[in-house]
Amino acid sequence: MQRIVLGVISALFVLLTPLTAFAQEKLHDPAAGWYSHFNLWLIISIVIYLVVTIPLIYFPFKYRRKKTNQDGAYIQGNTALEILWIVIPIIITLLLGVQSWALFTEYRTVPKDAFEAKSVAFMYGFEMTSPEGITTMNELRVPVGPVKMNLTSKDVIHDFAIPHFRVREDMLPGRTTYLWFNAKKPGEYPVFCSFYCGTGHSGMLAKVIVMEKNDYDEWVKKQKGASEAAAASPELMGKELLDKSGCTGCHSITGEVKMGPSLKGILGKKTILADDSTVTVDEAFIKEKITNPEAKRIKGFPPVMPPTQLKPGESEAISAYLKTLK
Amino acid sequence: MAEQPTGLRSWIFTTDHKKIGVMYLVTALVFFVVGLLLAAVMRTENLDMARKTIIIGPYLYNVFFTIHGAAMVLFWMIPVLLGFFANYMIPLMIGAHDVAFPRLNALSYWFYVGSGLIAVCGLILPGRLDIGWTGYAPYSLVGGANTAFYVFAVHLLGASSISGAVNFITTIITLRAPGMTWGRLNLTVWGLLGAFIIQLVGVPVLAAAVTLLLFDKYLGTSFYNAFKGGNPLLYEHLFWFYGHPAVYVVALPVFGIVSDIIATFARKKIFGYTSMVIAIMLITVVGFETWVHHLFVAGTLNWSRVVFMWATIFIGVPTGIKIFNWLATLHKGSIELTAPMLYALGFISLFTIGGVTGVANGLVGFDISVHDTHWIVAHFHYVLAISMSMLIMGGIYYWFPKFTGKMYNEKLAKFAFWLTLIGAMVAFFPQFIIGYDGIPRRYWKLPVEYTPHMRIAAIFSYIAIIGFFLTLYNFLHSAMKGKPASSNPWNSKSLEWQIPSPPPFYNFEKIPVITEGPYEYGKPEGEAPKGH
Repeated sequence: MQRIVLGVISALFVLLTPLTAFAQEKLHDPAAGWYSHFNLWLIISIVIYLVVTIPLIYFPFKYRRKKTNQDGAYIQGNTALEILWIVIPIIITLLLGVQSWALFTEYRTVPKDAFEAKSVAFMYGFEMTSPEGITTMNELRVPVGPVKMNLTSKDVIHDFAIPHFRVREDMLPGRTTYLWFNAKKPGEYPVFCSFYCGTGHSGMLAKVIVMEKNDYDEWVKKQKGASEAAAASPELMGKELLDKSGCTGCHSITGEVKMGPSLKGILGKKTILADDSTVTVDEAFIKEKITNPEAKRIKGFPPVMPPTQLKPGESEAISAYLKTLK
Repeated sequence: MAEQPTGLRSWIFTTDHKKIGVMYLVTALVFFVVGLLLAAVMRTENLDMARKTIIIGPYLYNVFFTIHGAAMVLFWMIPVLLGFFANYMIPLMIGAHDVAFPRLNALSYWFYVGSGLIAVCGLILPGRLDIGWTGYAPYSLVGGANTAFYVFAVHLLGASSISGAVNFITTIITLRAPGMTWGRLNLTVWGLLGAFIIQLVGVPVLAAAVTLLLFDKYLGTSFYNAFKGGNPLLYEHLFWFYGHPAVYVVALPVFGIVSDIIATFARKKIFGYTSMVIAIMLITVVGFETWVHHLFVAGTLNWSRVVFMWATIFIGVPTGIKIFNWLATLHKGSIELTAPMLYALGFISLFTIGGVTGVANGLVGFDISVHDTHWIVAHFHYVLAISMSMLIMGGIYYWFPKFTGKMYNEKLAKFAFWLTLIGAMVAFFPQFIIGYDGIPRRYWKLPVEYTPHMRIAAIFSYIAIIGFFLTLYNFLHSAMKGKPASSNPWNSKSLEWQIPSPPPFYNFEKIPVITEGPYEYGKPEGEAPKGH
């Protein structure tokens, strides 16, 4: 028995050595490292589960009671066996722990050349700011390569999770946290708020759009031109206001119903309030909805809209823009 | 010898540990039913992931998962274990007439009832609690919830828990019968002792945490307000300092009950009694060094996450010892598959799934991808919620003849067991897949592609819930109309089975003198038992 114990222990130590060496190797992509970590864990877990459940099912049949009040064998313990199932779990724990530690270090060590963007969370959306100072709502554009996100919140605790890149970190009011990921391929990747933040939590969604470097530079140029144009036209200013203030996170302009009603064709439309009265949506109603959303709640939607102060001229710009949404 | 009083007044004003125990059981079962019904409604709401209200809508969904969590952890599992099992079994198992402080014991129960009523207010009165059972600041401060319901429910329950802990720790230390050495205690008593130590150390910290919440919300202080110099992470730390060990408050007594059931129905001495006790005490102590794994992505310091990873995954070692000792106890036993035994074996199977996924969550690099996702929901339902609730059913069946004097319906018990086990096994598995994809939990609606997953989850959770309801029916029906049971139907060697069922007032006519441990089945003449 003792020889078996010693044999198993030394075999596991031999296994441990190359795996720790692998763990120290630089991964350059936490997401890829995560998958190999997951696989090692999965194999170990399946083995453990079988080691437990096979005797769990087999023993009750093998050792079923044949006579009333028949006693089992009088066995008080077995030191060698007990040491075996202390030492093997410790070795497994060390193995997984060392690998996880290395992976975690990778997750928290940002490459020096990373593209650095910022996100500020609020109930219920993400304000994203590019290093060039362009602010967008619920949509972050980044060039291919490593990206560092600096995260904070305006109100309660939120979380910035991008499942595709296997990263997440909470967004706390009053302090800045960070995460980084390696955006290897152009595409759109969904972002979720992963920290319960209230009634709109499940609608607090965004996306990361990964672009080729050239496409990204072109987009930046276009955005800068657009904000100059917006200063000259109330419609464009209204659009920019809605996008930047997060309105379009809950109110689509396409007719799709999200957390709130769509803005498409909303001006002049008749709508039913929570108290079953009917109103016509006009400029005054829109203005009141923005500054004091709970005063007149629209039937069928949850009371989650935060109030927003308007500067002179902004209400008119928004109405001008809404008129264009037929 | 006093006559046992009867009538309603004798229940309300009782200081008898057995009557208080039964009242704990009945009250806790009511909260269990509430928790199950809330779960059923939430599962129904998840049948279709299109953003449309099916029954309750996003706000009530959040209220329901808040009360579901609180009811199941705070008002069902902890009270049924530390209220019912501890009250009823500890004096019988250690050979005492009653607990050390019988009046304090009655007070604990009534604090618990009061706390439960406040929690129910949080479900039905305006300002419903939608803050999660964790009550995280700052949402609990700035949202529309009447956080006072939460704070006062925790305060009263805390008073109940602390006085219960003081009472039972004293009872176990001072009221053991002559000859009842530490090495002859039932493992249920050891598990409960560990749980009470955690309650005594941890609950005051939780009480402090929610008190500051109350000050912040209603008195204008800013302990947790980041914009006035406070820190919302402080709440998370204080909450989980108790909140994580609270898991072991449930787990340790459950481990003990599993050991007692297995020893009785395998008619075999517990394998490695001493290592079982050491494992319980290790978990009690190390359980307090793991809480930061709940804050693995909360912006905590990087090195602290690594330190707490090691403590967290180390808990797997004593837990593993317990599982392997149970298997070794089954080996060469004389096993009878009664309903309690089925529940014990089913528990080990479900708990192992929860255990290995728990190691995954403890691994700091692994956790980043699954933190606060459906993976976590699946994990804690396997490891804690459903496996331990099932084992509690097994424990109630095991001692049913003792505390009612009646026999339960074995066939119905087994049928309900299989329904619950199959339901539980399947109901939470799709959530591992959803969580593997990184989709967050506490979502009223998930992305639409997860509709099929959640439909499977819903159907099998209904099956598990039906199983639980059949079990409850069996309890109720058998308690009233069951066949009379003998004083020791399992022919167990444990002390609580050596007296009549139900036990007389004051339990023992004369305090017994103990000469051997509770698990000495088949001891050959002349062999010295270990662990004495």
